[in-house]
Amino acid sequence: MTRFWLLKVLRTVLTLWFVVTFVFVVLRTSGDPVVALVGADATPEEVEQFRQLWRLDDPLWIQYFRYVMQMSTGQFGISYRDGREVIDIIAERVPWTLVLGIFSYIGAILIGVPAGIIAAIKRGSTFDNLIMTTAVFGFALPNFFLGILMILLFSLNLQWLPSSGTGTVWHLIMPAITLATFTAGTLARFTRSAMLEVLDKLYIRAAAAKGVGYWKRIIFHALPNASIPLVTIIGLNLGELIGGAIVVETVFAWPGVGRLLVTAVSSRDLAVVQGLVLIMAVTMVLANLLVDLLYGLLDPRIRVQN
Amino acid sequence: MFTRREVGTLILGAGALSMVGSLSKANAADRPSLNIAVDNLWANMATINGISTTSRRIFPNFYDNLVDRDYIEDENGLIFAPKLATKWEQDGNVWTFTLREGVKFHDGTEMTAEDAVFTLSPERLWGPKPFEPRGKTFTAGFKRVEATGKYTFEIETERPDPNIPSKLTGYIGFVVPKKYYMEVGVDAFGQKPIGTGPYKVTTFRSGEIMVLDAFDDYWDGPPPVKQISWKIVPEFAARMAGLVSKEFDFIVNIPTDQEAALEKYQGVTLKRVLADNYPAFAFNTRPDPEDNPLVDANLRYAMVQAIDMDAIVQALFNGTTEHPAVPFNFKEYGRFYDPNLPVKLPYDVAAAKELVAKTKYKGEKLLWHITRQYYPNYEAAAEIMIEQWREIGVNVEAQILDNFELVYRRPYHLMNMSMSSDFIPGDPYQPLWLDWGPTASRSTATWKTWDPSPEFIELGKKFDAATDFEERKKAYLALSEEWQRITPGYYMWKSVYNCAHRAGIEFKFKPNGEMRIYGDYFKFV
Repeated sequence: MTRFWLLKVLRTVLTLWFVVTFVFVVLRTSGDPVVALVGADATPEEVEQFRQLWRLDDPLWIQYFRYVMQMSTGQFGISYRDGREVIDIIAERVPWTLVLGIFSYIGAILIGVPAGIIAAIKRGSTFDNLIMTTAVFGFALPNFFLGILMILLFSLNLQWLPSSGTGTVWHLIMPAITLATFTAGTLARFTRSAMLEVLDKLYIRAAAAKGVGYWKRIIFHALPNASIPLVTIIGLNLGELIGGAIVVETVFAWPGVGRLLVTAVSSRDLAVVQGLVLIMAVTMVLANLLVDLLYGLLDPRIRVQN
Repeated sequence: MFTRREVGTLILGAGALSMVGSLSKANAADRPSLNIAVDNLWANMATINGISTTSRRIFPNFYDNLVDRDYIEDENGLIFAPKLATKWEQDGNVWTFTLREGVKFHDGTEMTAEDAVFTLSPERLWGPKPFEPRGKTFTAGFKRVEATGKYTFEIETERPDPNIPSKLTGYIGFVVPKKYYMEVGVDAFGQKPIGTGPYKVTTFRSGEIMVLDAFDDYWDGPPPVKQISWKIVPEFAARMAGLVSKEFDFIVNIPTDQEAALEKYQGVTLKRVLADNYPAFAFNTRPDPEDNPLVDANLRYAMVQAIDMDAIVQALFNGTTEHPAVPFNFKEYGRFYDPNLPVKLPYDVAAAKELVAKTKYKGEKLLWHITRQYYPNYEAAAEIMIEQWREIGVNVEAQILDNFELVYRRPYHLMNMSMSSDFIPGDPYQPLWLDWGPTASRSTATWKTWDPSPEFIELGKKFDAATDFEERKKAYLALSEEWQRITPGYYMWKSVYNCAHRAGIEFKFKPNGEMRIYGDYFKFV
């Protein structure tokens, strides 16, 4: 068991190291942050002054070493754009992203999973077709398009909901629905497939033969056995909670991490991008770890094997 | 000595004044707030490090200039009005400025000559390691800035400079408080700026929102709005919906093709203004790459003569802006502008073909580096121009790149850029000499597009030194002719800034994009 955990930790550290190195290399080969910072008309002298100020004139390996040391001690540095601590900038955005993410995530699970179960047990029916058509529509429709459609309908024409920003619970509705639509559609499809696989299994028929009630068979016998792929997809979505709402946050001017990432990338704010990517990577790694643990809880065979 | 009646009159007057004061304070509490949806906010609000179109829009609401441009009396803003400086006079190389007394910064401290001098000082703008390095561009020729009294200061230049008051109408003229600036440092100042303007910054989260509260101790009286929130709403549909549903009082940056749709909504007023800025492209006139066909001026002339820019502007902007047929002959330059100046390279496809035939060009691909979605309609115009060039046998490929750093990477043959024309109001100094002269980035940077000819430098020096109008105009025309002889670039159209507001507001939009929410520029009706 100790070996299992040691391997997990080692894999996590390696993944994070790979991510921070990748981000370092990509950001430094895709554009000069100083040019983005000082504007197009700055003279070479001005550019050089800023380069020295931000220590971007150091050799790349020194910058890399400094960066890895900072990251390993949890210091994300100072934003090139506004001179503030990166951790402060990220900290003020995370709550907004979490509110939006959790609200839409729970909504998507509450809609997507039951819809998938119903579609599976009513396989081939009008219900099934209707649910699956809606699900495909949900995950095929691009976020930005659905978001703009909703703004035009509910804000511009009906004037029922605020078009953007934050402030009231009403502001949350459109971005949450936009974000949840994709996840709910995906979950419905996965749930249906997973349920269909187990509904014909012998143990379900055995339970029926023993007189176990229909819904009891579905909830307590079929669903736990269908939950491994579901947990995988729910876990992946959980990992994306922090960074997965880039488009929705931009369309609805939601002041979350996704929008921060867009701004930071376009302005080559290296410190902020690095900090954000690391936080997103950590979230994803932790979500995967959680999924691994849940596998063990849900399936005794995995637990025993470990 | 006062008589009893005079004392009574004074007491009554003082009482009336105090009533006016309390009345204005009572009214101040009832003032409405404004929500303005903007497409972006610059990350830094220091006066020079924060230079950008998006900050210029907001700056005059919390900073005051030493000298103001009066757009109410003159649509080109060529009348100068006192602001923080009430008087200025020139004596040879030295300008003396007298400051307005009793002006307060937002932290309650009084503005004095010490602040004005620091604002223009070498340590902040033009010394060896200034706090805001871009200040050097705007302070060329500065030799000494010194306080001569609590409310007077002098600027000495290397040679007589008649344009110092003009220069103080721009970014360098926004006065900052020395003590606070030095206490917090330039970066923190850019996040929590303090000025003497009618509103004070109370919240600034770059990338999200800026909130300004009324500064009731403003020297020109309390402003008309209690609070202004500038909120970033990147998506135009959300900005438009917010204006129509009255969530927002103003929105900015409306795509040209959406203007008509927006104007159809009741209670929405669209405002457009021609900006003192011109999107352009530079020809790479240097042998870098070695086989660059554009080193031949005939090919550059041909490409200019092949462009039907009037038709492009009409198609893309529906006639709301115009193409300057003669470079630098801009209407905003007042007496320098000459509508009858001959066009040296008019649209003429046959002439363009003949010019191409004179060159060794054999259809090699020319790369045009363009920054993605940086200038409105630029990519669309480029597509049309590429087709027009194809007609004369010139093969151009537009490479749309994500940022300027990529645009600057060689090899390229053409490069997008824009040029402002308002550094010295009413004078072509900036676009012609500051932007193309031997110290300009396009003549010195690693990505430079030309080497100014000795003639251009010589003529430029004469123009720079000329102070008499007739002499200066002559020098300007000669310098412009030399630029056109080389043709290192092409000015496409005058930029258009637009915004829209709800009913119940009267608003005058300024050509430099400033949105002044006070004075004669803004009122509720």
